[in-house]
Amino acid sequence: MTHPFGVTLAALVPLTLASLMTGAASVDIFSALDDPWAMLVLMESRLPRTLAVLLTGAALSVAGMLLQALVRNRFVGPDTIGTAESAALGLLAVTLIAPATPIWGKILISSLCAMAGTALFVALIRRLPPREIMLVPISGIILSGVIGSVVVYIAWQADLMQYISTWLMLGEFSGVIAGRYEMLWFAAAAAALAWFAADRFAILSLGEEVATGLGLGTRGIMRFGLAVVAVVSAMVVTTVGMIPFIGLVVPNIVSRIMGDNLRQSLPMVAAAGAALLLSCDLVGRLIRYPFEIPVGTVMGFVGAGIFLYLLYRRPARV
Amino acid sequence: MRLISAAILTAVTLGSAAFAEEVTVTTARGESAVPLSPEKVVVYDIAAVDTLSALGVELAGVPDNLYLSDLDAGDAEAVGTLFEPDLEALAGLAPDLIIVGSRSASQLDAVSQVAPAIDMTIGTDLVADAEARIAAYGQIFDKADAAGKLTAELDEKLAALGDAAEGEGSALIVMTNGTKMAAYGAGSRFGWLHDATGMEPAISGLDSDEGHGNVLTHEAIAEADPDWIFVLDRGAAIGEEGQSAAETLRSPLIEGTTAWKEDQVVYLPAGELYIGGGGFGSLTKVIDALTEVLSGSAGA
Repeated sequence: MTHPFGVTLAALVPLTLASLMTGAASVDIFSALDDPWAMLVLMESRLPRTLAVLLTGAALSVAGMLLQALVRNRFVGPDTIGTAESAALGLLAVTLIAPATPIWGKILISSLCAMAGTALFVALIRRLPPREIMLVPISGIILSGVIGSVVVYIAWQADLMQYISTWLMLGEFSGVIAGRYEMLWFAAAAAALAWFAADRFAILSLGEEVATGLGLGTRGIMRFGLAVVAVVSAMVVTTVGMIPFIGLVVPNIVSRIMGDNLRQSLPMVAAAGAALLLSCDLVGRLIRYPFEIPVGTVMGFVGAGIFLYLLYRRPARV
Repeated sequence: MRLISAAILTAVTLGSAAFAEEVTVTTARGESAVPLSPEKVVVYDIAAVDTLSALGVELAGVPDNLYLSDLDAGDAEAVGTLFEPDLEALAGLAPDLIIVGSRSASQLDAVSQVAPAIDMTIGTDLVADAEARIAAYGQIFDKADAAGKLTAELDEKLAALGDAAEGEGSALIVMTNGTKMAAYGAGSRFGWLHDATGMEPAISGLDSDEGHGNVLTHEAIAEADPDWIFVLDRGAAIGEEGQSAAETLRSPLIEGTTAWKEDQVVYLPAGELYIGGGGFGSLTKVIDALTEVLSGSAGA
């Protein structure tokens, strides 16, 4: 059998080419070297957008994988446990209290809030009976609902409803051009850092007692994992808005194929997440060409379908 | 004793009903009978507040936020928001007529419990609807002459706009919201700009049913290469801080369009267009602003 990682990388090449060729402007990107107009479209619009989608898909999927290892549960993702809502809460707070804060300051505060929200979730599920695995995702959904309603309440009072909806409800890449997506490189870098600690996350996913018994300082690695999840979510929420399901289904599919050796599977998770999100974004761009459907909407459909499939096929391991 | 008071009450009610004259006007939901010259009027619609103040009608109650800085409701009391009427405060005022529209149209049934209410929403056929509302208010408040004057003024300004826009080429209506952009075509909520100016939409096939427009990329605008770009900054319309419309638009792609190069990117009065859509003052302000820039240019 061919290596799944190789297959995914091979799929990424035509997807990336298709993404570079798709857009409202009718140009031939292959003649970009001779045609300045084609070059402009390629460098200003097509390439940034393609990169933004790839980085987001990869970073969110890796964040999902880490999160699932941290809480030892396959049914959670950064979008279902309140991380994105916490990031939005931070962003909303800083928008209201200090609107003049530069964008990096907003993202910093947003990341800190995302981290606090994720930590709250981890603290919450520690008290749950370990055998009731479905309680973990349900607690996450409840927590994200509670934080989300606080966000909506504040936004409602301040007449900022549509402002927050650009982050929380409609992840999309239509606004991405050169100069407006570069934050996502940091998200991807944070996700890439996780690869160096992959073995520790794998050990941590055996359970805190086992991990401590094996000589792992669980607190440090837990904090590091939370930080990665929070930074990735905050960057994605602030630049393109939250995208559902990707951090939930990609880790599930990959661990089904490759098992839980994170050092091996994390690159695969990143590649598969990038490929899946890019496919969804392409569909969103083509369905109503030359207009767009937000990738969040397409991903909602596709992701829900994949998730149901995963639920109905008996899980190989939980 | 009770019988007697009941009889008196009935007599009083019948009496007052007999004295109150009614007039039938056209509302957004068809013909509707309303009391003639109502004294206490509560309005939950910015366009209606705008038009009624142009007609010189005193209002008893308005929403707590009128959004438009030019709008002044005098001594009118705040009775809830556009989306949530404060029914207790409303009942306390005991109005003779309540007017809802657009954002508050869904509250018609709720406010109807308190007093006679009409829905004066202005639809996508904006100019025609706006004039129909002016005429209806003229009937209700017995100010047909004043209403006629407003309509004549509006028609005059529209004619001037049409003249100024002649031969100016294509236009694209873009709404910016944060970093995102959406386009509006003919037949949409801002489509009347195309009708009034007679300028062709730079992108054909824009879906007019999308309440928040067709999601648009920078390269789509570059490809369409409009002669004029009419910009509505949604953030400015509802008083938000944040990225301004010019900042959202600015990119090497859009800088290559005719509109940008010829300095023909027009930032329309945002609140008047977005919130006050169809109110007399808002309408004239938008039309005047457009007429000024269009007649200022040399023409294509």
